Amino acid sequence: MSKIVILGAGISGHVAAAHLRRKLSKEHEVVVVSPNSNYQWIPSNIWVGIGRMKSEKILFPLAPLYKKKGIGFKQAKAVSFHPEGDSTEQKPYVLSEYVVGDNKGKQEKVTYDYLINATGPKLNFEATEGLIPGENKTYSVCTYTHADHAWEGLSALIEDMKKGKKAKILIGTGHAKSTCQGAAFEYILNVEEELQKHNVRDMAEITWIANEHELGDFGMDGVLMSYNDMIMKSSELVEMIFEDRGIKWIIGAGVNKIEDGIAHYETLDGDYKTESYDFAMLIPAFSGHGFKAYDKNENDITEKLFKGFMIVDADYTSKPYEEWTVQDWPETYQNPSYKNIFAPGIAFAPPHAISKPRKSKNGTDISPAPPRTGMPSGITAKLVAENIIETIKNGKTSTDHKGSLGNMGAACIASAGFGFWKGSGVSITTYPIVPDFKKYPDSHGRHLGKTFGAIGLAGHWLKLMLHYAFIYKAKMRPFWWLIPE
Amino acid sequence: MKRISPRMRFRMMNPFLQFFKFIILSVKIMVIVAGGHGGTREKVK
Repeated sequence: MSKIVILGAGISGHVAAAHLRRKLSKEHEVVVVSPNSNYQWIPSNIWVGIGRMKSEKILFPLAPLYKKKGIGFKQAKAVSFHPEGDSTEQKPYVLSEYVVGDNKGKQEKVTYDYLINATGPKLNFEATEGLIPGENKTYSVCTYTHADHAWEGLSALIEDMKKGKKAKILIGTGHAKSTCQGAAFEYILNVEEELQKHNVRDMAEITWIANEHELGDFGMDGVLMSYNDMIMKSSELVEMIFEDRGIKWIIGAGVNKIEDGIAHYETLDGDYKTESYDFAMLIPAFSGHGFKAYDKNENDITEKLFKGFMIVDADYTSKPYEEWTVQDWPETYQNPSYKNIFAPGIAFAPPHAISKPRKSKNGTDISPAPPRTGMPSGITAKLVAENIIETIKNGKTSTDHKGSLGNMGAACIASAGFGFWKGSGVSITTYPIVPDFKKYPDSHGRHLGKTFGAIGLAGHWLKLMLHYAFIYKAKMRPFWWLIPE
Repeated sequence: MKRISPRMRFRMMNPFLQFFKFIILSVKIMVIVAGGHGGTREKVK
């Protein structure tokens, strides 16, 4: 009998738990430890942030589902890792602290045979002075509560604009090393569309601000793609859309401080500038959770497990951009020191960025961190679960299931406006996610047949279909496993 | 700079045309995403 503990119940943790429970007999224990009571389908936060979808539509409580499916659930947060146990506990464990109920504040040693760290990122708002969701007129759409607050702020501003107020809206990245430009891209297009629908578009100046050196970098070093009958750069696609929507842009900008209605930023040229606004949605930097790890003698072994995020089977050798290869990226998401610990999704430490690193003239790093969206999170979680399942069933270590971001495709369906007949979406697929410049030297590291873009109503329908399909899947309704990650 | 022409906009928002686009996109995305994934290191040995 084996016990598999999963830290986190986001896309990655939930996918792993679902597959493990489905394929392992009941004699094996699957336990999820998460401080969150709800599962949330994060990609639809964009629609919550413009008031077109209630947050209740994108979440559901985890406890009843897990109880029904035979998955253990502890609403607790991980405190520290003890992969060798300690003087009183022979088995490896994670020290966890309950966050609700009678046990709130109580700590428990959650022992395991296999550990899946799917804790995702810490939303590191503190890295930017004054960037606090709901304060200084800044908002976020990173969680459904943040998105609810964003809509409250935006709807109040729309009412002011209806009364004649001119407004400045700033959307993009809130730190020189932020990632997730795609979410901000979706939000700015949806906000612009909402202002059109409320007949106040002419009252607003909308500006994109990002740490990208050119539009459409998205933390993926930009994309060369097929678009209709053309081959087009993602920068040209985004520029075409922004031009069409009357959106201004500031790029190569590392936001470093927020005051009430003022964003301070440094440019790649080394200039220090400010941009005023009445409403801002800025994506923070992501970071690891700062977990500590100890061996059985209570010695600090954090560097064996963490490098910000969790260390896995990547090549972390420091090297210049020109020497980066897809082989640097992990395949099994297994920690090299402790083979029964895995970190799929966003929890693993990437070997390096995907976009070319850039510094300002003052030496400040201003370039996007690598994005890891829902689709690769689900795929990597599933392959980790499959390796654990085969290891348990066969009685010997299996790492046959592999999934490098350098050999995996992804689709980004970015909403560009909500509405069954008037909505729009920008659909972009990339293969592979991490460009393979040796395999595809003439197309910026990607397969042009599998890397394409499309704009239109079909994109909105696709995003809506994915919303319902993935919530159906997450609820583990009949035949849920037929829906791919 | 490329711009979205009225003809392009008509095609982007026409429900009839976009229905077929939706089918094509769904199939293409399914092929790319569900089409498999794997490692990279063996191939360079």
